[in-house]
Amino acid sequence: MRDDSFSFKLKRGFGILMMLAFAVFAVFPILWVLILSFRPATQLFVPIWETPFELTLENYSAIIGTNFPFALLNSAITAGASTLLALLLGIPAAFALSKSRLSGKFLASWLLLLLRMAPPVGFVIPLFLIYINSGLIDTYAGLIFAYMSLTLPLVVWSMWTTFNQIPNEVIEAALMDGASIWKTLVKVMIPIARPGIVAAAILSFLLAWNDFFFALIITRSETVTAPVAVMNFVSYASVDWGAIAVASIVLTLPVVPVIILANKYIVQSLGGAVKG
Amino acid sequence: MASASASAQLERAYKRMLIPTFLAVGIFAIVPLVGMIGLSFTDYHLIRGFRGEVGFQNFVRLWTDGRFMESIYVMCALSFIGVAVQIVMGTLVAVGLEKIVPRWRLARGFFVIPFAVPAIVTALVWLSLFTPTLSPINAFFAIFGIQIPAILTTQTGAIAAIVIADTWTTYPFVMLLILAALQGISTDLDEAAAMDGATRIRAFFYITLPLLVPALTMVALFRFIETLKHFPLIFVLTNGGPGRSTQATNYYAYVQTFQSSNVGYGSAIAMFLFFFAGVISLYIAKRNARLADA
Amino acid sequence: MYLKTTRRLMAAALAGAMALQSGAAFAQEKTLKVLLFGMPSTIGLQALAGDFEKETGIKADIEIIGQDVFENRITLSFAGRTGDIDVVHTPAIQVQRWVEAGWINPITDQVDALEDKDDFLKGPLEAYAVEGDTYALPFFAEVGLLAYRKDILEAKGQQPPKTWDEMLSVAAAINTPETAAIALRAAPGQGFNMFVFPALMWAYGGKFFADYPSDLTPAINSPENLKALQVYIELLTKYGPQGVGRFNFPEIVAAVQGGQVAMTVDGTSITSQLVDKEKSPVADNIELALPPSGPAGRFPPIAVHGLAVPSDAKDPEASFKFIQWATSKETMAKIALNQAYPDFTRASVASIPEVVEKYSGIQPNFLDLRVEALNEARGDYRPLISTWPEIGAALGENINGALNGLVTPEAALEKADQEVSDIIDSQ
Repeated sequence: MRDDSFSFKLKRGFGILMMLAFAVFAVFPILWVLILSFRPATQLFVPIWETPFELTLENYSAIIGTNFPFALLNSAITAGASTLLALLLGIPAAFALSKSRLSGKFLASWLLLLLRMAPPVGFVIPLFLIYINSGLIDTYAGLIFAYMSLTLPLVVWSMWTTFNQIPNEVIEAALMDGASIWKTLVKVMIPIARPGIVAAAILSFLLAWNDFFFALIITRSETVTAPVAVMNFVSYASVDWGAIAVASIVLTLPVVPVIILANKYIVQSLGGAVKG
Repeated sequence: MASASASAQLERAYKRMLIPTFLAVGIFAIVPLVGMIGLSFTDYHLIRGFRGEVGFQNFVRLWTDGRFMESIYVMCALSFIGVAVQIVMGTLVAVGLEKIVPRWRLARGFFVIPFAVPAIVTALVWLSLFTPTLSPINAFFAIFGIQIPAILTTQTGAIAAIVIADTWTTYPFVMLLILAALQGISTDLDEAAAMDGATRIRAFFYITLPLLVPALTMVALFRFIETLKHFPLIFVLTNGGPGRSTQATNYYAYVQTFQSSNVGYGSAIAMFLFFFAGVISLYIAKRNARLADA
Repeated sequence: MYLKTTRRLMAAALAGAMALQSGAAFAQEKTLKVLLFGMPSTIGLQALAGDFEKETGIKADIEIIGQDVFENRITLSFAGRTGDIDVVHTPAIQVQRWVEAGWINPITDQVDALEDKDDFLKGPLEAYAVEGDTYALPFFAEVGLLAYRKDILEAKGQQPPKTWDEMLSVAAAINTPETAAIALRAAPGQGFNMFVFPALMWAYGGKFFADYPSDLTPAINSPENLKALQVYIELLTKYGPQGVGRFNFPEIVAAVQGGQVAMTVDGTSITSQLVDKEKSPVADNIELALPPSGPAGRFPPIAVHGLAVPSDAKDPEASFKFIQWATSKETMAKIALNQAYPDFTRASVASIPEVVEKYSGIQPNFLDLRVEALNEARGDYRPLISTWPEIGAALGENINGALNGLVTPEAALEKADQEVSDIIDSQ
């Protein structure tokens, strides 16, 4: 079974080297930002190996005085709420699309994809005009609904494939036992589909959390989100790289443990989407 | 249970489950999209307001607008090169994690981290890495007297820069999908073929890779659509430059809409992108329907 | 049953939406919303907001946002009449556009009633006059200066360049692989490369239009402009640092502070960071001088920023009160002392002893140099017309293209000329 030939070892060595190179590529920019976030203003771009002990927490304390923490809270609220809302509305819809014999399913699937893919630059202006007239501009509700227009198609699309993998017999058995269809979904289907739900939740949270463009257009001062607030450190005469580095770390950090812990769910759930 | 009335009742229940999503999508996605279509037939200007409808004039203008044509070229370069690089790298990392270093359990998580980095942060981080006077990479190689060329000052370089930054944050998506697909492929297949190491790589190309093709196609299409919508990377990293050589179509639509205030014309450009997305999503939907039937 | 749940949910969502909305409206009513973009002076102003409340009883909520996102925010807020801004940061180059769109209100009468109106520097104040009305009060006027490393120039036996031609020969003499001779703003944009390039253009006798403001036929493709562009390109490509073709002010600041560049010509908001001993390791070796001149004279870059009252401001009187306070002698003096702010717009501030002491610490003649450059600067350094933002973008992009070798300088100017003409015609 094992191959101990020199040429195999060489190839394996080459493979490991390649993986190391990729690992460096993946981690290096994050390390760089981490270093940047601890460097005092005068040492920002002095190579770290020249003055390795010139470190400070100033950048972190300085950012507390800005509106960035507020923006971070806004990001968490809107991304979290839009994800919850999308799950709440999207899971039953995906269930229905997966298990019913409705006609027009194909059209629905196309529409969902299309919405997922439509260029925001086109429809933010109409959305902006609608929001102006309905008073939704610069409100949490407005931003949450806008993000929902991104996350809901994603949730429905991915849960649809997840539910497809659950055999119809499971539902039939539950219905036989006298459960309502609604109860069947909550008590039977959702527990089985949990990995898929976790994956859908994470992907849609990321989608909203990472958004720059929608927030740029439909928020003013009350609901500004963190990705837009980061740009406030690019000012008229200078760029506050220390603050940007801190903001980047703070924006990325909360998501990292989640994504590391949950990546196996994402893999499981995507497995359904790419099967065949 | 299989009585006709029970089944009809069930179908009605399903329909009700769809209503909220239907409404939400209708109000917050379809209405703005219809608005976009409507605006593309007007000359709406952020400062001058509406002057009237202009029929197909905006679309005719697309044909004669050199900047629009060039933007398509840039968009295609970004998308094709970007998707190719991301697919290759994502697949290599996924296959590597499965076959070369299966014991790097923890590393799997680390390879996913860039996926969690917001696009605007990605853009700012790579901007500092690509600016020769700021970059630690340049400083490091300068020790050995090696000068890394500035890449944001040529069109090819700037496109490469966007592709690199984009690849950094999106290859994990490809990687995750390919990992998922790999787990669906029975491993004894290639283990049988991998009896001796010499054929192991060949086995990958002849056995595993063909089985990955459906997944790869899917990922490629998804990534392709996403790359058509590049915004923060161009906005921060290249500013559309040098000159205007990295103003891809989506960015050009932004420039027309927001910098020049020509919402009508900007919407027409967005319509073009929308049409593009429509064709590709139709293809994916058809493909999926076929797979579901099979 | 499910339908009922849905209905309840929707009702709750709507109620939530309304509650949030009215909450926001309530917060807006009792305070003045001031929108500024980030610069040392506005940050200094934000820190003093408490003083304004003490003096007038009006609470000012000063929000500072990034320059890159400012224009988006403003355009949409004004075009959509969202009424979320009571006092707005108004760059002079935007004022014509905003007035034409009806976005800001004239404050002529209130300004004329000011007792100390004449204390404002004349040029900056006039930058806000449109068809006989005044639309803003200036709080910031920066002017381009030459900043150079005197140690490097001395070591090579060079005098600071008085003209752009001399700049070429000095640059050639001092350029080394470690320290490039010169960096200038190069990134495309009406406030980026088009803040600096017109200085060369005017100096070599070039101009934007055939006969501004009466005849707006573009005159971009003139031999004078070509000469200016060639000098600009030669300076940066031969004697500039690596990657200068994408440089904007932050890269310039970092490069000069890091000792990678010896000279630059930029606004006082930039050059004051180079001589700031806390931020700049090379501060002691930096000397400031008037920017280089050319055959047609000296044309220092100039940028003026002011405060205006949006036409949908809820309480225009209160808004003006804020503007009056923000541009008062006392406020300006405080900011000048707390921040790097030599760009105040009142003559009297320059004679306050503490202010003089602080800025002569940078360089004994610093404030005089600034006034001298301001006096030489022309108000229409960048044309004061409503289409300038588009025109500036088109010029900036073509010039940046030529700098980075995408097209020849001739072709770039030819194309820019055509595009400017199209923009003017589309009006």
